[in-house]
Amino acid sequence: MNKLKLNYTSLSFLPILVCIPLGFQLINNIHFGGFKLFQEFLISAFDPKIDNEIIIIVIKRLNETILIGFFSWLVSIIFGAIFGIISSNIYYKIFNIPNFFYRIIRFFLTIIRSIHEVVWGILLMQIYGINFSIGIIAICIPYIAVNSKVFAEQLETIDYKSFESINQINAPKFSSLLTLIWNPIINTFKNFGLYRLECSIRSTVILGLFGAGGIGTSIFLSFQTLNFRELWTYLWSLAILIILSGLIFKKIKFNSTNKILSIFFIAVFFITILFSFSYFLYFIFNNFENFNSITSLFKSSSELGLFDFLKLILETIILSLLSTGIAISLPPLVIGIFNNNTSKIFIKIFAFLLRLIPTPVILLTLLTFNNPSVSLAALTLGLHNAGITSKLLFKNLDSQDKKNYIAMKSLVISKKTSWLLGLFSQQAKSYLAYCAYRSDIIIRETAIVGVIGSVGLGWQLQESLSSFAWQEVTIVLIAYSSIAIVGELINGKIKNSLT
Amino acid sequence: MNNTVLELKNISYKYKNDLILNKINLKINSGEKIALLGKSGSGKTTLISVLNGTIKPTQGEVKLFNKSFEELDRKQKSKITTIWQDLRLIEDLSAEQNVNCGLLAENNFYFALKNLLNISSFKKAHKYMQLCKLHNSIYDKKIRKLSGGQKQRVAIARSLIQESDILLADEPFNNLDPKLITTIKYLMLESVDKNNKKKSPKTALIALHRLDLLNDFDKVIGIRDGKIFFNVKRNNLKKIHLDKIY
Repeated sequence: MNKLKLNYTSLSFLPILVCIPLGFQLINNIHFGGFKLFQEFLISAFDPKIDNEIIIIVIKRLNETILIGFFSWLVSIIFGAIFGIISSNIYYKIFNIPNFFYRIIRFFLTIIRSIHEVVWGILLMQIYGINFSIGIIAICIPYIAVNSKVFAEQLETIDYKSFESINQINAPKFSSLLTLIWNPIINTFKNFGLYRLECSIRSTVILGLFGAGGIGTSIFLSFQTLNFRELWTYLWSLAILIILSGLIFKKIKFNSTNKILSIFFIAVFFITILFSFSYFLYFIFNNFENFNSITSLFKSSSELGLFDFLKLILETIILSLLSTGIAISLPPLVIGIFNNNTSKIFIKIFAFLLRLIPTPVILLTLLTFNNPSVSLAALTLGLHNAGITSKLLFKNLDSQDKKNYIAMKSLVISKKTSWLLGLFSQQAKSYLAYCAYRSDIIIRETAIVGVIGSVGLGWQLQESLSSFAWQEVTIVLIAYSSIAIVGELINGKIKNSLT
Repeated sequence: MNNTVLELKNISYKYKNDLILNKINLKINSGEKIALLGKSGSGKTTLISVLNGTIKPTQGEVKLFNKSFEELDRKQKSKITTIWQDLRLIEDLSAEQNVNCGLLAENNFYFALKNLLNISSFKKAHKYMQLCKLHNSIYDKKIRKLSGGQKQRVAIARSLIQESDILLADEPFNNLDPKLITTIKYLMLESVDKNNKKKSPKTALIALHRLDLLNDFDKVIGIRDGKIFFNVKRNNLKKIHLDKIY
């Protein structure tokens, strides 16, 4: 019997094996109580509620979502660039600062990044209550750390010889730094900035589900009242917003040689920094009393048993692995099997819906006919992320040179095999590298499905927060952070070996 | 009177297990024009990097104006300029912005910002680019769009605009045609005033491969396997010297 050869192509399909234990548990957990609700949910997609009242609400809620998303994006991209600079090695080389500080800042940012914005949001809402700025702050905290990583990675690509040559001119250190980082920063902003705005809007929607305002809150309330027609009005309006913003982003071209535009961006940069600092101070002084509640952290005790705690950690790890398996293997498998133009359109629409519908809503929908379990949470997270990985896979496959595929088909090799060997095999390596990056996000997102789906540390966090057991909250957060950091380290190694 | 501007005392440089420079002693006096000869991999580039302070030697002492690099302030350090063999230009900036980078040492942060925003004055940069026979159609072109010869002249213009007292150059005539070599060599070896007339003599150490370019130099140094094999006046250079290093 031929042995299975492990290459990038087979490694892309192998994780689908997670569906065996997952499917087994899901079948065992099926209940028929909510099938009617599920049916109603699906039918309502084609019959959303449209009247004057709801249109006004939609406009109002979308405005809130855009405002929270835009401000959190603006602040996080600017501070992300600043932290990216001070966590890049070029900064330390120019100013001759010991590498020790560089490691401390990076470690600090890694911890901040490891906790999902929803967790930050729930924590802040618990301390400060619900208000407009909580959403912005909750998104900004991890986003600054995520953006700083991307900026720092770009700054690491600066040719060391350019640094030596500018350094040898003996210019003032800030002049040297600015000259060296200018273009990498602008290029990162051009390639990455608008994508982060889209992410920011998506995060605003998810935070809204937990009460931070915007259209997310309306989606959650309509789901709670089982008003599916209203729910789909919100979802479709969100879809229109995402499609429109995607079209606008495609049209936007930044011309860094345009002097007026450059000066405008510099003005926005400094105004944002000034405004953020002043607002930060205002927020701290106005909420000083609430801030005192953190001191109760030291007074509260933990009732979390060691065994239960380890079980929760294990559940979170299993949840991450199962979801990652689905997110990696499902898109190439489905695209490969249904490899014709009509199926492609359906797969693209389905993938778009999986990206559009927030994970908590997908999970709540699936809960109508399945009991809460790790498998159900993993399926939800896996499907949502498969929607994202499939978008990238489609994009890369569409732009790829098809001569190998055509050549194979001309040799009367089957369409599926030609697709696999002539098209996908060339994309497999970069696809896996992207999936390694995506799995970092999946680990963080386990918090969201955990809260809704009663699994893992996410659920425990919600429980501990509800009972103001701050010591438990701290322990859970440390565990979360550790899993995310270890995951990031492993994925970093995998990514490096693939790129 | 001691007019030594650069001095190497017993310099050795080790990279991993390889000894790249081996106990080098060298004095360069003000106004001297020195040609540095040697095969590829003989240690010429490393010697230039030690002379300009980019590389710290494993052993020995480097003195610029009788002071070690640590004792010098930024202004004093900027009296030395280098043309690198691999040019080390910033690819994403235009030719004129790269040349203007040579002026960063004598200007403040605001100048650096204006240079990047394309709102600074490029008058001086254009003057040096003209001297290096660069056509004005390439002034605002990104470096990555220029030919090898054009890049070479941009790097030379960036170095010359610094108007430094000491010039170090590592094979600066690569990619240049014979007519250009004559012009560029004159610019590198002679300081010029506003009217393109000779000013004070400039100190220069230039690494070369071509022996036909030696006629304007005062001294010739030969290096092989990280060791100086000869250091003679150009008129005294014999075939026997060259046989030692090639």
